[in-house]
Amino acid sequence: MSFLSPSFFLFFPVVVTTYFLLPRQARNLWLLAASWFFYLCAGTAYFAFLLCATLLTYFGARALAARPRKLLLGILLVLLFGALFLFKYLNFAFSLAEHLFTRAGLAFSAPELNLILPIGISFYLFASAGYLIDVYRGRVPAENNFILCALFLSFFPHLLSGPIARADQFLPQLRKPHIFSAARMRSGLLRFLWGAFKKLMLADRLSILVNTVYAAPGSFGALQLIGAAIAFSVQIYCDFSAYSDMALGSAEIMGFRLMENFRTPYFSRSIGEFWRRWHISLSFWFRDYLYIPLGGNRRGTARKYFNVLLVFAVSGLWHGAALTFVVWGLLNGVYQVAGGITAPLRARIRKTVGLGANRPITILWQIFVMFCLSTSAWVFFKAASFEQALTILRGMTSAPLLVRPVLSSMGWDRAEFIVAALSFLLLLWVDVHSLKGSIRERLCTRSMWTWGLATLFLFLTIVIFGVYGTGYNPQDFIYFKF
Amino acid sequence: MKRKIAKQAASAALFLLISALLLNTVGLALRPVRTDFGAVWKPYLAEPKNSLDYLYLGSSYAYCDVNPCLVYSVSGLTGYVMAGPEQTLSIAYWYLKEALRTQTPKTVLIEASALGFQPYQNYTQINVGYMPAGFNKLRAVFSASEPDLRTGLLFELYFYHSRWKNVSLSEMAQSLLPGKTDTLKGYTSVEGTFNDISDGPFQREDPDEALYAENYAWLCKILELCVKKGIRPVVVFHPTYSRFSPTFYDRVGTDLARDWPDISYCNWSEDLEPSGLNPASDFYDPGHLNQSGATRFSVWLGDFLTSQLSLSPRAQSSDNTAAWRSAASVWTT
Repeated sequence: MSFLSPSFFLFFPVVVTTYFLLPRQARNLWLLAASWFFYLCAGTAYFAFLLCATLLTYFGARALAARPRKLLLGILLVLLFGALFLFKYLNFAFSLAEHLFTRAGLAFSAPELNLILPIGISFYLFASAGYLIDVYRGRVPAENNFILCALFLSFFPHLLSGPIARADQFLPQLRKPHIFSAARMRSGLLRFLWGAFKKLMLADRLSILVNTVYAAPGSFGALQLIGAAIAFSVQIYCDFSAYSDMALGSAEIMGFRLMENFRTPYFSRSIGEFWRRWHISLSFWFRDYLYIPLGGNRRGTARKYFNVLLVFAVSGLWHGAALTFVVWGLLNGVYQVAGGITAPLRARIRKTVGLGANRPITILWQIFVMFCLSTSAWVFFKAASFEQALTILRGMTSAPLLVRPVLSSMGWDRAEFIVAALSFLLLLWVDVHSLKGSIRERLCTRSMWTWGLATLFLFLTIVIFGVYGTGYNPQDFIYFKF
Repeated sequence: MKRKIAKQAASAALFLLISALLLNTVGLALRPVRTDFGAVWKPYLAEPKNSLDYLYLGSSYAYCDVNPCLVYSVSGLTGYVMAGPEQTLSIAYWYLKEALRTQTPKTVLIEASALGFQPYQNYTQINVGYMPAGFNKLRAVFSASEPDLRTGLLFELYFYHSRWKNVSLSEMAQSLLPGKTDTLKGYTSVEGTFNDISDGPFQREDPDEALYAENYAWLCKILELCVKKGIRPVVVFHPTYSRFSPTFYDRVGTDLARDWPDISYCNWSEDLEPSGLNPASDFYDPGHLNQSGATRFSVWLGDFLTSQLSLSPRAQSSDNTAAWRSAASVWTT
């Protein structure tokens, strides 16, 4: 069940209404039942994995709380990540082994395993692992109530695509009473609609263009390839931040506050900052449970850079079992390392030419460079293979400028272009203004009319101009497959 | 506190109402205007209340073959073809229920070729989608429509929102403004002659037992509704060059005679001569009459309705009489 499926529009009001009508003691049980039903709708075969992960997390945490042994934590993590490896990476490992053996002149044929990949597994297993580590470290107590522990992993707004839940932030919320609040309802609804706007007006519209160009990059001109790469940067931001907005909006309506996952990442001035503003729950997970345990920046510069590269390589692998994802991750790591090494030099150059570190032109230049760097990295993320990514990057500099007809060859027409451009301008306006504080909060606190008009405007724009319905290929959220 | 909750509830209700109204209005504005090829509810609903003598149900075999204006010109009977493309009997049942909300015909004729249709044919989106909003449509969505079409049938923008690119203001206005009566009365004129008619008659596959039973059950529901409302139902098969086996037509006759001894059953599938149809010039394809064929058949039908079924025209207002005369003149001059 996707947030934008008709079934969710029936499911959600029923869940929320019942939640607030039920006595407090029954609410968490109801939410757990609803969340499990939500997950069962994605596929009954997947449910067993969620249940196993839940049982392992619940009993594992209690055992760790009773006797915090490193060995036990190790076994639990091996079980969790072993399951992730089995379902997500085994085929990739086999194909890599086959490639290496073949290059070494040895015969090895990788078996074809048709394993299912339970939806959302990377998200709930990371939440579970984080919780177990926190219990082992004594940062959070083990949850004795199975329903609360299960709900921490299964809560439907964050179950399929995050934000990756943190026990210290989420479990206390399950113990608090949640009273219905009209203000929260308005704010959550507006946030949900804003997510739907980004998904249906921009992400899915841009995906038509991006998929057309990436399907046959050799047939397009350099500007079109650059345009498609930029379009993908915008698409993936709109797609994933849309999901996060809808998750946070749904949770907010019920009185829960989930971790913010995006803070206008393309306004970052460096790749390091970008990763503190993009998929924040994953970045912080890697920081707290991988980067810092590896030594972080406490063991010298060389070790720090090695740690950064390792974390980004793992982050790339988390996104997908393919070399292109590893290259994408490593490239981001290399950017950050290179940024760190060249920082003094760049500061000297700025000083020489008389540019202050926080002058608008400096900021704009840094944002521009950061965007170009991340966009070129996204090419590897989107491309079907490493070779295709190289073809696209080469084409950006060597192909003829444009192949005509420009728009229709890319799967668009003028009307689609105008709607996408206007939607993008609105997104830009909202993101720029959100730097000064939440626009949503301002809209919700002003007056009912302001909120009503904004909500109706978004709603009507989406239902008229959105990409959905008959004749369209509805795009799943990109991060579903991770 | 109570006052605050009541105010909030009222605001929420108002917001939902405005949203629903806007959604419905936009859905209607973007939906293509439908004037022919069946499912023409807007002009039907514009007909004066309780002014029709008969209704014609069925599929394209009904709306291509029967021109109510020509029936009127020879008999004075006012009627309407409330059919739809490849319309199944399950949808026809909901059509009749809806149609009877504004009309009280004396006779309902059911072109029954749909007894051989699949439970879902190709045009549910049109047939159910264009029904007026209400319980009958809702029940048609859930009892006579493919499950994967239900989202679009309940929420029309799902089907039509991408028309924002090419819909004109005049088309939107036409969709939103109240409907007017037209000169088609549910009829659709098709031009052209089927050149290979001499190879016919062509054999259609008879429905299997389960399919026939399912379709026959819906036909019985239609007949039951007619009887309940005091309407005389007539089950007919039109003259055609695309025929089921004689056994099939006999079976329909036998079943109807057993279950509904008081209703009329007319199998004209092989009777081209009485209506003066010329296979060489009057068929658009083996199953549908072209304009020339429909003209002959409708004139004959008008005579049949008055002489064989003893149907007589009801009293009409002078305005409606004038309107029907004007409409008929379009086809007779």
